[in-house]
Amino acid sequence: MKNIKYIILGWVVVFSAASCKKWLDVNTDPDNPNNTSVLIQNRVPWIEHFFQYTSGVSNFRTSVAAGVYYSNAATGNALATTWIAHTGNTTPYQQWFVTTASNLNDLYTSAQQQGAYHYMAVADVFHAMGFMLMLDIYGEMPYTQALTGNPSPGFDDGKTIYNGCLSKLNEAISLFSKTQESGAPALSTADMWNNGDVNKWIKLCWGLKARYMLRLSKKANLYNADSILYCLSKGPQSNADNTIGPCYNNSTATDYLIGDPVVTNGNWDYAAEGSNQRISQFHYNLLTNMRGAGVTDPRMSKIVPATMANIKLDANGKVIDYTWNRSIGVDSYNSQNAQNPLSLANRLAKGGATSIALESYAATNTNIIYAIIDATDRANFIAAQVAAGRPYTTSGNNVTVTYKAGSKYINSTNYILAGDTAYVNLRSCSLQYGTTGVNSEKELNWYPSVAAGAAGAIGSTGSFQVRPVSDQEILTYHEMCFIKAEVYMRKADNASAYTAYRAGLQAHLDMMQAKLTQWKAGGYNKSAVGFTIPDMEPMDQAAINTYLSSNAVAQDGGTLTMSDIMLQKYVAMGCSIENWNDMRRFNFSAGNVGAFGVVYPGYDHGPLFAGSSLYTGAGKTDPRYWMRRWKLPTTLELNYNLTNALAINAHANDANAWSIPIWWDCATDDEYYGYLKQ
Amino acid sequence: MRKLLYLRCLSIGLFLSFTCFAQERTITGSVISNVDNNPMTGVSVTVKGKNLTTQTNANGTFSITAAKGQILQFSYVGFTSYETTIGNSDRLEVTLTSLQTQLGEVVVTALGIKKERKALGYSVTDLSAQELMKNKNTNLVNSLAGKVPGVNVTQFSGAPGAGASITIRGGNSTSDSRQNQPLFVVDGVIYDNSTTVTGNTGTDGLSRSNTTYSNRVMDINPEDIESLSVLKGSAAAALYGSRAADGVVIITTKKGAEGKVSVNFNSKISTSWANKMPEAQTIFGPGSYASNGVLNTTNAYNSWGAKIPADSTLYDNIGDFFQQGAIYDNNINVSGGSKNGSFYLSGSNFKQTGIVPSTAYDKTTFRFNAEQKYGPLTLNANVAYSVAKTDRTLTTAGLYGSGVGSMQGVYGWPQTFNMKNYINPDGTQHRPYAGTLALENDIDNPYWIINQDKLTSQTNRFTGGINGNFKIANWWDITGRVGYDQYATNDYTYIAPGSALSLTYQKGRLSKDLYNYTYITTTVMSNFHKTFGDFDAHLMLGTTSENTKNVGQNHWGYNFVTAGTISFNNIATGNKFFTDATINKRLVGAYGEVGVSYKDLIYLTATGRNDWSSTLPIENRSYFYPSVSGSFVFTKLLPKNNILSFGKVRASWARVGKDANAYATLTYVNSPITIGSYTGIGNQYTSGNPLLVPEIQDSWEIGGEFRLLNGRIGLDYTYYHSQTQNQIAQPRLSNASGYILTSINSGSVINEGMEMAVTGKAISKKDFGWDVVVNFSHNKGRLGAFLPGVAYFYPTDAQFGTVKAASVPNGGYFLGMTGTIFLHELDSKGVEIPNGRYQVDPTTGLYKLNTNNPVVGNREPDFIGGLENSFRYKQFSLSFLLDIRKGGDVYNGTEYAMMVNGLSKQTLLNDRKSVTVTGVNSVTGADFNQTYTSGQNYTIGSTTQSGDYLIQQYWAAGGTVGSYANNSMNFITSVNWLKLRALALTYDFIGLLKNQTVIKGISATVTGSNLFTWTNYKGMDPEVSAAGGTGGSGSTGIDYLGVPAVSSFTFGINLKF
Repeated sequence: MKNIKYIILGWVVVFSAASCKKWLDVNTDPDNPNNTSVLIQNRVPWIEHFFQYTSGVSNFRTSVAAGVYYSNAATGNALATTWIAHTGNTTPYQQWFVTTASNLNDLYTSAQQQGAYHYMAVADVFHAMGFMLMLDIYGEMPYTQALTGNPSPGFDDGKTIYNGCLSKLNEAISLFSKTQESGAPALSTADMWNNGDVNKWIKLCWGLKARYMLRLSKKANLYNADSILYCLSKGPQSNADNTIGPCYNNSTATDYLIGDPVVTNGNWDYAAEGSNQRISQFHYNLLTNMRGAGVTDPRMSKIVPATMANIKLDANGKVIDYTWNRSIGVDSYNSQNAQNPLSLANRLAKGGATSIALESYAATNTNIIYAIIDATDRANFIAAQVAAGRPYTTSGNNVTVTYKAGSKYINSTNYILAGDTAYVNLRSCSLQYGTTGVNSEKELNWYPSVAAGAAGAIGSTGSFQVRPVSDQEILTYHEMCFIKAEVYMRKADNASAYTAYRAGLQAHLDMMQAKLTQWKAGGYNKSAVGFTIPDMEPMDQAAINTYLSSNAVAQDGGTLTMSDIMLQKYVAMGCSIENWNDMRRFNFSAGNVGAFGVVYPGYDHGPLFAGSSLYTGAGKTDPRYWMRRWKLPTTLELNYNLTNALAINAHANDANAWSIPIWWDCATDDEYYGYLKQ
Repeated sequence: MRKLLYLRCLSIGLFLSFTCFAQERTITGSVISNVDNNPMTGVSVTVKGKNLTTQTNANGTFSITAAKGQILQFSYVGFTSYETTIGNSDRLEVTLTSLQTQLGEVVVTALGIKKERKALGYSVTDLSAQELMKNKNTNLVNSLAGKVPGVNVTQFSGAPGAGASITIRGGNSTSDSRQNQPLFVVDGVIYDNSTTVTGNTGTDGLSRSNTTYSNRVMDINPEDIESLSVLKGSAAAALYGSRAADGVVIITTKKGAEGKVSVNFNSKISTSWANKMPEAQTIFGPGSYASNGVLNTTNAYNSWGAKIPADSTLYDNIGDFFQQGAIYDNNINVSGGSKNGSFYLSGSNFKQTGIVPSTAYDKTTFRFNAEQKYGPLTLNANVAYSVAKTDRTLTTAGLYGSGVGSMQGVYGWPQTFNMKNYINPDGTQHRPYAGTLALENDIDNPYWIINQDKLTSQTNRFTGGINGNFKIANWWDITGRVGYDQYATNDYTYIAPGSALSLTYQKGRLSKDLYNYTYITTTVMSNFHKTFGDFDAHLMLGTTSENTKNVGQNHWGYNFVTAGTISFNNIATGNKFFTDATINKRLVGAYGEVGVSYKDLIYLTATGRNDWSSTLPIENRSYFYPSVSGSFVFTKLLPKNNILSFGKVRASWARVGKDANAYATLTYVNSPITIGSYTGIGNQYTSGNPLLVPEIQDSWEIGGEFRLLNGRIGLDYTYYHSQTQNQIAQPRLSNASGYILTSINSGSVINEGMEMAVTGKAISKKDFGWDVVVNFSHNKGRLGAFLPGVAYFYPTDAQFGTVKAASVPNGGYFLGMTGTIFLHELDSKGVEIPNGRYQVDPTTGLYKLNTNNPVVGNREPDFIGGLENSFRYKQFSLSFLLDIRKGGDVYNGTEYAMMVNGLSKQTLLNDRKSVTVTGVNSVTGADFNQTYTSGQNYTIGSTTQSGDYLIQQYWAAGGTVGSYANNSMNFITSVNWLKLRALALTYDFIGLLKNQTVIKGISATVTGSNLFTWTNYKGMDPEVSAAGGTGGSGSTGIDYLGVPAVSSFTFGINLKF
């Protein structure tokens, strides 16, 4: 066989293609580090930031529900008007689990390997804060099987989650108290919140325990006043012990999931990044007429935004003179009646939009023709123009109004909307979300247009807690004081309650004053063209003194009511989920908790309420009349994990799941499990 | 070696000298085709063993000198070679048999191995160039529709450049990231057919559902294809390994034929139009009612307002938006060859403008194929280059949380607004509510999107392969192959300043994505073949390696500082971003096949393959899978007869393993963020899984092939069953895992079904012929066990209106669909009564909705089929292809959207003056019968609601209210269709070309595609896929605001020199 050479060659070729094992070792992404190699010092700032974001969205949406803010009926946050909830009820859930909680186990185990006990403790604290936040909002969720690698984790009830969070805080306290092994990185290299001050972290843990134990106020068998007071005694003792998330406006870098700036305040991202939010009438009343005293709170002008009005322009179209027009509150709770001329209901009765319109800026003289068929309305409308000093002409039903250059006006021919400039939106601008060309690190004011920005005509000065550079309040001394006041009130120790109530009010005023002073020193009180923004400057001490001694504040324990405590706490907490939590504990304005009467008077369904299928209770004392939780996120749990969701709560996907009380909102376990049963 | 050559020369010499003694004379004759009985031009006629060749002329006749006893060979591409021994006659009439029209011929099987069809234990369908070109579509995949049993093709949309999906015998994988599409192999090299979305909703707003994507097989010039074979079951495909579980489409491109150089040129021009558009009501204008009856007209795009006054101008915004599309298609090829070598060179350009203004597709291709023989060595090389460019538009919501796309705008724009008025004299967008609606809360005018934004995608692709075959001995040969597939896709997405986007992007936005795909493969195969008496045996051993590397780069930024310059250079540093993504996967396979046959009666084949994949954990990376198949030609045992001239039964079983996606074994972290002096790093939203094992598919099939009446009727039948277990998926699951997407091994997919093809030659006369091909197939896809606790499996990108594409675990539909439906009344045990009266929710006064994701449909057809008729009369030939589908649910999400925005004609019921809700009270069980009348007020729960509001709510309420729109069933149809997919009439001018030698052929063709669709579906074309290219159960059967499908009419000329 002469072709034997070929045959040999053939076999060589066939068997020479032996595989090389190394050649297959390419299954590691060259572009991204993996979760085992990341330093714990980098995990902590990430977790702190994304927790701020998670709590920001939770604070904002629950604040709209609690009446702190009004949000346009047309937007998904219309909880203050229609009570139809946002489909974005996914955001807190996804932000917590995906951006924040997914890092906790990696942080904990990496820290454990290095003997970095303080980092392990930080992981525990976030575990407790995050899962408690989710419990507050959603009631039940995967807990023991969450974050374990189980892709379809089963659910736990509220009681299990609550107890788990408390035990994590206990572990954290003991871990913080240990000395780290040598070589373990100091917490100060990673901690934006408390700069690694372990004592502040321990106080935070005790403070959180007090906050969470107060949640049990409806439960006769679990509520323990003395335990709460013990926790308070080990928690923050002054504003210096506050845990604050620092926020900046010095970068346009955005996060990977939602695309919001990473350095800014998490509340601002939701409450004041856009134009749809305003101060509610309910909140406004507390700042202007607490206890019916008719005294304006010194904090009012720092919380309620203002817009420039009566603007005069120079020859170059720049603002040379103006006044501040402070916003009024949007009344979305009260039905149409003569006593509330500004209620949305009264407005609606005349037809037109269900939402407040956004102001525009007239860079040049601008005419708008209004067709007003109703003669009385027309006369009133003309009278209003006369009062405002605006030129107008009439022709039949038509009224043509000239908005002079520099005016703020509503760019609509619907006369019903023309007065909406009275409502100033809460918006503040950041480097990224602003009027290009005007906004800078320290210029946070909102301008309605580029032309307004060029002229210096400010559209909104923003609100204290929800500016990009506002402190993100994680746990504060004033909250501790109000908890103490409530606990003593429940013990009928009015004198101690009064002391704590006054201390809480004072602490909040002090905290605000310190921040306002800091802003002024930092130059945030000047607009880009140099106008002074009084809203960013310290409060007038005389006004503070007047307020504190007025009837707006209880002057002794004898006259102090639970409502006084909770409404002062409401103002102090502001954009915080704690207000909605407290309101649930007092059944909103039902007045059927203890002998405390109506704690939140005036809070109710409004004329645009459209949630009759969500809140199916017959009347105020029926728990199902109110928003008690959020339905589980549709796209995350109801679509992808419904079997497990229904296994714990047969009504998890019912339309009226929104009104099912969560575990701590029930007096007994029987009541709670009764809601979840088929 | 030298001796061997000497021996060969000697034997040739002897043979030559022998032939000298024979009596030579001139033999004349003609050659006709069995397809149409027409004379065949250019057929090679060779005296066997003698260097003497001629070709038939334009009349199909030839003349050659030969002697009695010599053998004449007739050969022509695509036809079976024919040999005849010269007897006493000087005249020969030869009919050549097309490879296509005959069962029982040679087919191309896995790894390009040619086998006799009768030896196969599994089903293979092959198509010739002629079959494919009958309804030429620039996307090869579309040309397969209706022609191959078991193959289901769905075009994504009517936009130019839009791809199509193809599944064979149902989908096997539930995962989004696995497309369930067959492997394409071109000239032995795996050819990527991805539908790649380069961008994402964060950086450029691109998702599968909001613009046009091509499947990459579109890069092939269909005119270059010589033949195509579809390997359906895994037994057929097992040798291809991991990627063959969904079947294989093997494409062989053209070669030059021995003889003179020939040139083919064809040119086509075509016009296309939307075959059906949605209709809008023109009675009611913009506005919507609040619950207390206040009509809100501020900022209203929805048409729930007052009656449009009689003297108003109305605009046909939908009808005016679409234009006529056009196609110019030019192809040329040159081919030729000698005894030892051949070449084929082609070029083509396909230029299309779409029915949506500003959209277009432009594809240019080149190919060069060559083959050369050197003694026992045959070398061939194929290279192709293509440039494909798509001008596209956003069709639905583009950027995250902002605006809507053009089609969504078109189908919702109020009829009282002139949509064409989209721009102000100062160049800003004309917005009907500019004064009261901030830009970020507004929606873009569709004309603004198509005129101001610019979205393009360009792909340059190079593919090539070199094959060497060495015949070592007559029983042994070795084949070596190196293949290369490389393309670069450049996507460009520019959103103009002044678009309705979130504030950040209102000064314009630009994104550029580069996606570079590179695939290199090497194969060495050794074939042994020996005959032992009545036994014939073969053995094949081979190894292969594959290296796939994708590099993706995204650059994006926003806020152009100086208006008019659209460039990253015109964006401040802080506002521009870039990311890299690299994917590398490698695979080594070793395989073998052994086969034995006995007397052409029984054939048995077994294969085995072991793969080592880089994508699996090291301890699980090696996996082996076997197959066995056999066939039995039972007619060999029967007496020869004309009734059953051929009969064969076959059976096979196979297992195929499938590896994971690259990097799925680890969890990665995000880019760092900087806050003050701190740097934060955290996990990505996708989790890895270090425990992955290969996905395994087991399948079996049985079938038979029969030829009756001397082959006039052919019948092929297959029944199959497959189960794919350990599904590797990266689904969206509970976020409580800490991740949005999680890599898992779970669940199984089960497909079973049958396929049947009947071919018939009804009439076969010299001047008239009629051929019929009918095929039918049925598949039933089910999802087996899946993760405990997960009730549905949803592909992310296929959720529209109230429905979601869903696979339902534990025996439910693989192509299911969940939605929301009205609840029926309950019986005494609290169980819903099917077809009982509806429950009415007293808190809304409307029907009560079941929101627990009930299964509302199965998108899988009961059967699909095709009927192809070809007629020939003298120089005319006419063929038409009917595409048949019975059953399979389609959700009309476009009608849903128009219902919600108040443009649906259905909402005109009772002139919107009243609606009636009847059923039972969901709380008390009492009868409920209530008519809501315009102008009245009603107490609903604790609120008072106006009749106008309730009428609007009855139709269009969102959320969990039981409105007409929210009952998915109102928009679901079990669709049947009969489509005239293609109609072609050709006239061959060959008769006019006598007495000249330059032009060898000329013909003209008129074709129409999708000219008629008879269907019970009320919406647009029911062949829909709202998010083309989605993996898992995909998005077929969901119609949502897409570009309408088109019909077209084409005129073409073919010239041959």
